[in-house]
Amino acid sequence: MNAAAPSDDTLIRIRGLTTVLSGKKVFDALDMDIPRGKVTAIMGPSGTGKTTLLKHITGQMRGDAGQVQVDGKNVPELGREALYALREKIGYLFQNSALLTDFDVFENVAFPLRQHTRLPEVLIRNIVLTKLQAVGLRGAAQLAPSELSGGMARRVALARAIVFDPMLILYDEPFVGLDPIALNQVLKLIRTLNETLGITSVLVAHELDAIKQVADHIFLIANGKVVAQGDPKTIAGDGSPWTRQFFGGEADGPVPFQYPAGDYAEALGFPRSGA
Amino acid sequence: MNARIERDNIVTQALGQIGACGLFLLQILAAIPRSLRYVRETVRQLWFVGAMSLTIIMVCGLFVGMVLALQLYHVLSIFGGTAATGTVVAISIYRELGPVITALLFAGRAGTAITAEIGLMRATDQIAAMELMAVDPLAYVAAPRFLAGLIALPLLCCVFSALGIFGGHLVGVTWLGIDNGTFWSNMTATVDVWKDIISGVVWKSLAFGAVVALIAVFQGYTAPPTSEGVAYATTRTVVASSIAILALDFVLTAFLM
Repeated sequence: MNAAAPSDDTLIRIRGLTTVLSGKKVFDALDMDIPRGKVTAIMGPSGTGKTTLLKHITGQMRGDAGQVQVDGKNVPELGREALYALREKIGYLFQNSALLTDFDVFENVAFPLRQHTRLPEVLIRNIVLTKLQAVGLRGAAQLAPSELSGGMARRVALARAIVFDPMLILYDEPFVGLDPIALNQVLKLIRTLNETLGITSVLVAHELDAIKQVADHIFLIANGKVVAQGDPKTIAGDGSPWTRQFFGGEADGPVPFQYPAGDYAEALGFPRSGA
Repeated sequence: MNARIERDNIVTQALGQIGACGLFLLQILAAIPRSLRYVRETVRQLWFVGAMSLTIIMVCGLFVGMVLALQLYHVLSIFGGTAATGTVVAISIYRELGPVITALLFAGRAGTAITAEIGLMRATDQIAAMELMAVDPLAYVAAPRFLAGLIALPLLCCVFSALGIFGGHLVGVTWLGIDNGTFWSNMTATVDVWKDIISGVVWKSLAFGAVVALIAVFQGYTAPPTSEGVAYATTRTVVASSIAILALDFVLTAFLM
């Protein structure tokens, strides 16, 4: 059974999410409310589980405890049919684009339409060309994925993610590998989709300057919890050691730069200090 | 002691793989009704694993028939029974060599391609992308390839058998001088449609097709998403398929004799 439906302004509500992977607690009773119709950025040091969180939202992974409600439905409790019905309303942009290599650019963008609709070919063509025009790649419609640069592939994947005009788009590292022109266009596109269609966007990214331009709200997660949140203007100045280290790019702070390891001197073969 | 533990681990792993493969078969069978909406994908795979394998199957079938006729002619001539060359070539090919060699060639040509393709699709997140686009990869990727293997192998076995007998005729009649009428009349009088052709070319091929396609799809689907993982999975497809084909051949022969 789903818990009480979230209020209208909350599209994703996470309560007490706890996930342990390979003995490591990735999320420790994580709570998070992602507002409907806004652009929300999830930031944090590498390895804190940002992509894993997106996987919980889409039902690719299930936590050990807690709830992940999307549009009022508790994702871990959904059966296959209900989960697929929910996923039809979610667009997902992969870190590595994940284009289908057997198809050209046009067919990659048309793929969700062909699988879930019986639209006439003319309409499919128009929708696909409109989306490709939006990401600036209408002229590349006949190219194979292997002929695209990393940035171009990411824009094609973005066109595919928005082809259904979903209620929610999840962007996993959308700005990696984009040149400044493409980066600005993608930022504008995210903002336009949000403002004109009311699409909720969730971004996982590290590019603070880009995030400041586009996000309405930022969550900073570390140690399995939300350690800071707020709008882009105020979050960096909240004074907590987490935000000071993360947004200031400092090596010293609550987030260790070194992955846990044994004694350095001993690893190099020197006698232990004090021995 | 260590050797025993290692041996136990290998046995446990092998049994685990067989169990997982069996569960995967159930998942594919459950996905087949859902895959019927992807008929075009099944036809595309049928072309890829069936039609694209024709050259190797035809060439190998021809040479197997030629070698078989040559060997049998010399053995049978000792007993003055060269007239039976055509019969023995046909029965050998229909009952054993046709289905077994076709399945082994199919595992090497199409099975490896299926494993590598699915393994790379998983490594490059294409399978995950399908799941997130609400497209069931079991119905769209696994089931069409399984069905294509199941349908293609009996058809390829027919082609292999026809070319094998043609090769036997080429050597026996054209080269070694066996009478053309004797070659064909002895063969048609002795070969039984049900016991030889249906049980060999049809039943065995269907069973081998199902086993090879299942192993190939399973190995691809469960391959670790690394270049080494895909390489090992491809190798395992050939090794496991070859063992399964020969073991299953013994079991089927015992039941179908």
